[in-house]
Amino acid sequence: MKKTDDFTCMTKGFDLDQAMAEAERCLLCYDAPCSKGCPAETDPGTFIRKLRLKNVTGAIRTIKENNILGGACGVLCPASRLCEKGCCASGIGRPIEIGKIQRALVEHSWTRNLQVLEKSAARNEKIAVVGSGPAGLSCAAELAKEGYGVTLFEARPEPGGVIRYGVPSYRFDLDFLERELADLKALEVEIRCNEPVEGQGGAEKLLQTGYSAVFLATGLWGTQRLKADTGQIGGLYTSVEFLASLRDQNLAQVRQQLAGKTVTVVGGGSVAMDCAEAAAKLGVKDVHLVYRRSFSLMPAEKEERIEVLDAGVHLQLLNQPVDFIVNDKGDIQGVKLVRTCLGEPDSSGRRSPEAIPDSEWVLETDIVIEAIGNQALADSPQWYPNVQVNEQRLVQVDSDSGQTSVAGIFAGGDIVRGPALVVEAVQDGKIAARGIMKYLAGKDV
Amino acid sequence: MAKKQIDLSIDFCGVKFNNPFLLSSSPVSNSAEMVAEAFEAGWSGVAFKTLNSDRVRIVHPSPRMNPYHYGSKRLVGLQNVEQISDRPLKDNLLDFLYLKKNYPDRVLISSIMGFSNEEWAYLAKASEDNGADMLELNFSCPHMTIEGSGHKVGQANHLIEKFTETVKKAVSIPVLAKMTPNITDMTEPALYAKQGGADAIAAINTVRGISQIGLDDWTARPKVTGVGAISGTSGPAVKPIGLRFIADLAKCEQLGLPLSGQGGIETWIDALEYMLLGSTTVQVTTGIIHYGYRIVEDMIEGLSDYMAERDMTRVADLVGKALPNLQDTDKFDLDRQGTAQYDIDRCIGCGQCLIVCNDSAGQALEWDAEKRRPSLIEDKCLSCMVCSFVCPVSGLITYKEQPKTWQRQETEVMGKDLEDQLKLEACK
Ligand SMILES: Cc1cc2nc3c(=O)[nH]c(=O)nc-3n(C[C@H](O)[C@H](O)[C@H](O)COP(=O)(O)OP(=O)(O)OC[C@H]3O[C@@H](n4cnc5c(N)ncnc54)[C@H](O)[C@@H]3O)c2cc1C
Ligand SMILES: Cc1cc2nc3c(=O)[nH]c(=O)nc-3n(C[C@H](O)[C@H](O)[C@H](O)COP(=O)(O)O)c2cc1C
Ligand code: SF4
Repeated sequence: MKKTDDFTCMTKGFDLDQAMAEAERCLLCYDAPCSKGCPAETDPGTFIRKLRLKNVTGAIRTIKENNILGGACGVLCPASRLCEKGCCASGIGRPIEIGKIQRALVEHSWTRNLQVLEKSAARNEKIAVVGSGPAGLSCAAELAKEGYGVTLFEARPEPGGVIRYGVPSYRFDLDFLERELADLKALEVEIRCNEPVEGQGGAEKLLQTGYSAVFLATGLWGTQRLKADTGQIGGLYTSVEFLASLRDQNLAQVRQQLAGKTVTVVGGGSVAMDCAEAAAKLGVKDVHLVYRRSFSLMPAEKEERIEVLDAGVHLQLLNQPVDFIVNDKGDIQGVKLVRTCLGEPDSSGRRSPEAIPDSEWVLETDIVIEAIGNQALADSPQWYPNVQVNEQRLVQVDSDSGQTSVAGIFAGGDIVRGPALVVEAVQDGKIAARGIMKYLAGKDV
Repeated sequence: MAKKQIDLSIDFCGVKFNNPFLLSSSPVSNSAEMVAEAFEAGWSGVAFKTLNSDRVRIVHPSPRMNPYHYGSKRLVGLQNVEQISDRPLKDNLLDFLYLKKNYPDRVLISSIMGFSNEEWAYLAKASEDNGADMLELNFSCPHMTIEGSGHKVGQANHLIEKFTETVKKAVSIPVLAKMTPNITDMTEPALYAKQGGADAIAAINTVRGISQIGLDDWTARPKVTGVGAISGTSGPAVKPIGLRFIADLAKCEQLGLPLSGQGGIETWIDALEYMLLGSTTVQVTTGIIHYGYRIVEDMIEGLSDYMAERDMTRVADLVGKALPNLQDTDKFDLDRQGTAQYDIDRCIGCGQCLIVCNDSAGQALEWDAEKRRPSLIEDKCLSCMVCSFVCPVSGLITYKEQPKTWQRQETEVMGKDLEDQLKLEACK
């Protein structure tokens, strides 16, 4: 897709000079707390020091060797609660903007066409990676660097997972994604799109078709629903459908469809924030965000919550949907809401919403987007029937190696953790890659 | 503190300056149009861009300067290969007349450089006749492309004496000799200048240096038509060198001439340091190239507040104040030793002190990894204070003198069991 407007491309980051100026504020700590704070061991303490000592290529090498999606993480990580959280510079002002430095370095590598990653001599074993989201990409890169033949199977038309079909492009654009994917492609990973691995035992069969190990990284592409059986309601979408529609060629059509409409998003997590903000940025008439608890109890990051307010979204807090109002043509006309108040804390430690009797009201709306939680697809356990999953259909693994209950099958990312972060998926990919190499070494012996 | 009107005026060679701050001879004093703006901003005088007598055509290399950046800190130094004024003498002298007419209370110092006795005399006389209040003899340009000029003269003592004498005979206004730092001992040429009749010494001109080499073309900057050269370094990077030469000159009793200090001055503090070491006036170029004429406002205000805080009324009282405390290193009392001391409650846990103490000092720190705090093993501390240089919290690490009875631990010897292999006569 061509860069067209500020909906489809993200804002500019630091250039190298700005990154250097920021690096100069860094205290170059002993036993750097930022490095400990990074879930993927991207090692900001080291790459910032390298930048500061003008070892720019080395800085990029550190990032990319540790994190094949270093650029994406620089953009998408909630760094203020990860690497930047322990930053000692906070003690004399504010933390170093680590994510921005990281992004700038990775972008710089593209302008200079630096290839910092190296491949070891080719090995015989081939490994199948199922799903090309952050976890799959990271595992594939790690193994490819070590010389293994890697095939990435991807159900959708293009690789990337959530960072292609979920995160709105004004936060993370396709141009950036393509460039970061090019770093991976340079490692000669085979990416087979439109090739879902599914059906009864589909994933397990890979072990019999020439692959020495399998990494499952299929993510969470099912959605929790407000009502079990809604049938076909015009104007009712899941977050997955809505966000994906913003990233394909039909964006112009979506824009047209939404023009002049009132959109209601249900949910209080990051995904709901993305849906609401995206709708607002598309210039619809009104966007309502319905959430059953209070502002501070929303699971979304604080920055995201504030951005949504800033984008002009109307927050309908302490309100819970009870029904959809549908006209005779089957199109949605409104959501029936009940006002809530906060009662005792529930198992999550947050005060739980309690419906206020006789407080129902109808919020008129043309579109409803349900964003109350992503989950593993209902049929996903069938793809790997011998692999142990929990009641949420999340795959169970040994956290040190990523190995599932089936020897040779590993897993990581959201399909293991539930909704998590890009940087955590990257780490899972690395851990599993190490686990796979150990497993293969053991098998050789 | 209320802003107090302080009289910063000072007498230099019998000429009154409204304040000690002058433009030095350079692009910042290239024309009357520019200098007038500087006067409006508050500068009390100017050493006008060095005049040339039209005998040889002056062409500036292109490009003529290069910045010396430190990280994202810009212009900690400046490299230049600029020549003396490329304007016709007549134009410069007309500008003199304009400045004296419009700014009679400002001091016009004519900087000149000749290539022969006659030429020095000619330029001196022309300057005096067209309103110059003083002369500055440029014995110090480090990159004049013409033989028999610039710092080559500054290194040839008899020429300094001869040219100064010639000028003194030709005019009656005071004469400064501007010296090059590209020698070991500046007092020697300065004494020759005095011998020739100089009334004051100006120092330093730029230091011969190279601050950047192109990594793709292996050529020093500025690169002029494909060629690099050793050129003149100025700006904050040379301030320590400038201060040292000023101190040398000021301490030289035989010399006893007033001084006009320069080299890396940007702020009132830089200026004051030059004055405390014996400069009566100070001159600025690179500071203006970096920030513009407006910096004089802060120099005036800063120095005024400094004096007001100390109830001082005469700038002249500051001149040379630091000289009595400037001694040779053999005056240090080595029996008095100290250590660093840490105000640990203010620590933010970066651990840079630990790194530098381990790698460049006494290895006198222990580290609590859990709390991220250093603790000092006092009797291993060398009192070198490098930890305090890198500590981001000002004043957290300070120097503390220890009682005379205090003993520092000997540095660990690692090769104790290798004594039989030691090759050293005295130990046998
Ligand atoms: C809207 C949204 C916004 C987010 N914003 C952020 C953010 O700002 N910062 C952040 O750190 N995290 C964010 N996250 C979370 C983050 O995107 C995920 O944690 C991360 O993408 C998980 O990576 P993954 O590889 O496990 O799964 P995914 O990214 O979900 O990738 C899984 C891939 O597997 C493919 N697949 C599925 N089934 C099959 C099959 N049977 N065969 C073949 N391929 C299959 C899918 O098509 C997909 O490409 C966000 C998540 C969402 C939904
Ligand atoms: C604290 C200190 C002590 C030094 N001691 C010596 C010395 O004993 N012998 C020596 O030849 N140079 C000595 N030097 C000079 C350095 O070896 C070096 O030439 C100089 O610092 C310039 O290099 P640099 O600025 O890149 O460090 C010393 C420098 C410093 C800063
Ligand atoms: S990957 Fe994310 S958490 Fe890690 S250092 Fe980079 S921005 Fe911070």
